[in-house]
This record gives sequence, structure tokens and C-alpha cells, in this order.
Amino acid sequence: MEMTKQVEEALYQVIDPELGINIVDLGLVYNIDVNETNDVHVQMTLTTPGCPLHDSIVSGAEAMIYGIDEVNDVYVELVWHPAWSPEKMSSRAKEMLM
Amino acid sequence: MITQMQTQIKTETNIKLPLAFILFGLVSFALAQSLLWINTSALSSGVFRMPDLWMAAHFLLLGWAVMVVMGAMYQLVPVAFLTPIWNEKFGFLQFFITAIGVAGLSITLSVKPGVAIFAGVLTVIGILMFLFQIAMTLLKQEKVNVMTWFVGSALVFFLLTIVAGLTLTWNLAFGTISNYDAFFKSHLVFGLTGWFTLLIFGFSYKMVPMFSLSHGFSMKWAKPAFMMYISGLIVLIVAVWIGTVPLNIIGWGLLWLGFTGYALDMKEIITKRIKKKLDQPFIFSLAAIGFGWLLHTTALLLAVLQVNDAAIWSWLVYLYIMMWIVFSIMGYLYKIVPFLWWTHKYSGSVGKKDVPTLKAMIQEKWGTILFTAMTFGVMVLAVTSMMGLPVLAFTAQGILTAASALYVISIARVLTR
Repeated sequence: MEMTKQVEEALYQVIDPELGINIVDLGLVYNIDVNETNDVHVQMTLTTPGCPLHDSIVSGAEAMIYGIDEVNDVYVELVWHPAWSPEKMSSRAKEMLM
Repeated sequence: MITQMQTQIKTETNIKLPLAFILFGLVSFALAQSLLWINTSALSSGVFRMPDLWMAAHFLLLGWAVMVVMGAMYQLVPVAFLTPIWNEKFGFLQFFITAIGVAGLSITLSVKPGVAIFAGVLTVIGILMFLFQIAMTLLKQEKVNVMTWFVGSALVFFLLTIVAGLTLTWNLAFGTISNYDAFFKSHLVFGLTGWFTLLIFGFSYKMVPMFSLSHGFSMKWAKPAFMMYISGLIVLIVAVWIGTVPLNIIGWGLLWLGFTGYALDMKEIITKRIKKKLDQPFIFSLAAIGFGWLLHTTALLLAVLQVNDAAIWSWLVYLYIMMWIVFSIMGYLYKIVPFLWWTHKYSGSVGKKDVPTLKAMIQEKWGTILFTAMTFGVMVLAVTSMMGLPVLAFTAQGILTAASALYVISIARVLTR
């Protein structure tokens, strides 16, 4: 499996503890970039600026990615633009919130 | 295109600081309810202004509500305003001074009111330290928003509350105040409607959308609500001091308009929520908004009808404290404490091992039962006391005391998970 896909799979394991839904299905992960030396750069957001769980979720994402074999360096970058919106959620996440 | 703007904000305050305040608050809450139970006969006779009830009221409002709010603010201010706490060590010092002051003040008001002034001074020092801490924190905020106005104004009213309160305890010691009644009413208005209500308004604008995962709401009433409520408070205070009926009605009318604007905004936020099934304790905080609106409506009607019966107003104040202020805080605390403990215990384990969700940290069903019992207890206590049914009033306060003790235990149990 290519590295980008492996990173995405790993991020499915990072659960937002308030909502009980993983950050990929929540639409929080904007971009995954892996360079030729297997350095991983993830751009992600949170449902609201100043989310109190921001440190936990970011460090959780980093830990999960470091768990992948052959990953070199990991940088999880939190961005606020574009802002998160409900449209970014998967249908599975929307169902879970019903 | 993604704009790169990484946050550098440290959002996690040292857990020991908010937790110290919250634990002190929980003990005070159980103590206050027990004291009220012991003194139910005085309550049901409409006698509110007596030393034992002063002690209960100050354990309830200062020991429980103020201390919990302070602890919650140490955690929420960095979250809501994206600004770290100015100085945590100063916060611990502030906790010890305030805790000694509040416990001393509450006890001496019953045991020896004449010396309450000394513990009162210590309480004031502790509160001033808190105000300084939060002011320094808010001053660092880069972008001021409507929440800043609500919370900033609440802090000003908190300062006015303690000035009026200190004047009252000065009077107990030295008896030189001629406008005692006006000072007493100002103390209530500043503290209950100014400090607590404005603070709950401010934080609700952050917490209600966050807990309901609401999106696309307008907050269109926030500014008018702020202006109306502040104007209402000023007019009401003037009415208290010069004693004119029209000003009293206008004051309550403005407060009602302000509260209604806030309630409409909260209604819109909830309507536009994505999380359809809300957590039970959070629903309790939302119910408190409904109670608060009904109580503001009742106060306005009493003002218009010129009902001046002290017992009726005293019960209205009691219901306002319990069903709006205390219930709001209780509901939010069921979210705040699990979050604090979860962050402390599991934050570093995310992505490394299985961690519980926040919801799994607390027994929600217990909360629902306790909140329902408390609502029932408060309503029955007020009705039976006003109807002169002391046995039923005693039973209702007994239910309240038991529910309060179980609430404290249920919160404390989070710390064992």
C-alpha cells in the first residue's frame, strides 16, 4: 500500500473523544503529503477554533503516523482556512450524529 | 487553497488549578444544601435574612458557584479566547487566599457576624487577585469579540458585587451604613444578574455551539442582548437607590429583552446543530435557559403589577439562583470535569492505545436522575414553603440535599476513571 494511503488509514484510528468519531470521517484532515524520504506532512483542522482537545488530537495523529513502518519525520499542521463545515463529514459520520 | 496559520496557543491549563477550585466548590455545595435542610423551617416561614441562612447562601454562592466558575474559567478562558492564563502560580496563590476567605466568611456570618469583615477582606483580596489574573489574560487577547464584552462586563459586576458585599459586612461589624437595604439589593443585582448571568451568557456563546456541534448560526441578537441587559442592570440599580416604580419596570423590561435576545440566539444555535442527540447533562444546562427566561418574565410581571411582598421576591431570588445559575453550572460541570480528567489522564495516550470517549467518563443516566430530582426538589420546596406546608418543604429540601450529595459523588467518581 502506498504511504499516503497508509497514513490515511492510520488517521482513521484517531478518535475525537467528544464526538466518538474518527478525524477522517469528521472531515478534519485536509491534506496528506509524503515526500521521497517518507517525511509526512498532514494539514488538518478542528470543528471549532480553540477546541479544547486540540493538543490531544494533534499529538494522537502524530503518534499514529509514527507507528507506520518506514515513516521518517511527521509534521501535523493545524490550519483554520478553509474553516471546517459539516459538508466535509462523510455520510457515515453524519449518520453517527443522528 | 489552504491558508497556513498554525495555532501556537497552549489550551491546556495545569489541571490542578481548575480542579482545586471545583473540588472546593463541590464540598461547599453539599454543605450549603445540608445547612438549608437544617434550616428549612426558617425558609418555609419566609425568614431569609438570618445568620445560618447567610452562611448557607455564601457557601452556595461563593463557596460553590463562584469557586466553580473561577475553576471553570481557568480552563475555559484559554479555550474560548485563545489566550493562555496569565500566571498559573498566581492562580494557586489566589485559590488558597480565596478558599480561606470564603470558608471563613461563610462560617463567621453564622457564628460571629461581627468579625465576618476580616474573612470578608480576605475573600475580597482573593477575588481581586482573580479579577487581575483574568483581566491580564483578556488583555492579551488579539481579537476582541462579543464574548469578551459579556465576560469583561461580568467581571466588572463581580467587582461591584464584592464592594457592595464588603460594605454590608462592614455594617455588621461597625453599623454605620444608613442605606443598608439599597446596598443589599445592589449586592444581589450586581452578583446574580450582573456577574453570574452575563458570565453564563458569554460562555454559552462558545459552549452551546461546541457541545451541539452547531454550524451556520448568526448570533444576531448577541450585541442587542448585551446592550439591553447592561442598560437594564444600570436602570434597575438606579431604581433601587431612588425607589421609583417606572424605573423599576423599565429596568426589568430591559433585562427581559436582553435575556430574550440571548435565548433566541441559543434557540437558533440548537436548531442548527449537527449533533442531533445531545448529552443529557447539557440538555439540563439548556433547560436552565428556559427557567431563566421564565423567571425574568415573572420578575417583570411582578414589577408591572407592583407586587412588593418580600417573601415572594425572596423565593424568586432563590429560584433564580437554583434554576438558572446553579443548574447552568451543574450541567456544564458534567462536561468540564470529565474533559479535565480525560486530558490529564488520556491525552498523551491518543494514537498509542485505546482511550475512552468523554461520554464514557461519566454515568449520564445518574446525571439525568439527579438533575430531574433536583428540579423537582427546588420546585416543590418553593411551592410548599410559599403555601406554608413545612413538612413537605422539609421533605423537598431533603431530596435536594440527597441529590446534591449524590451529584458531588458522581462528579468525584470521574476522578477514579
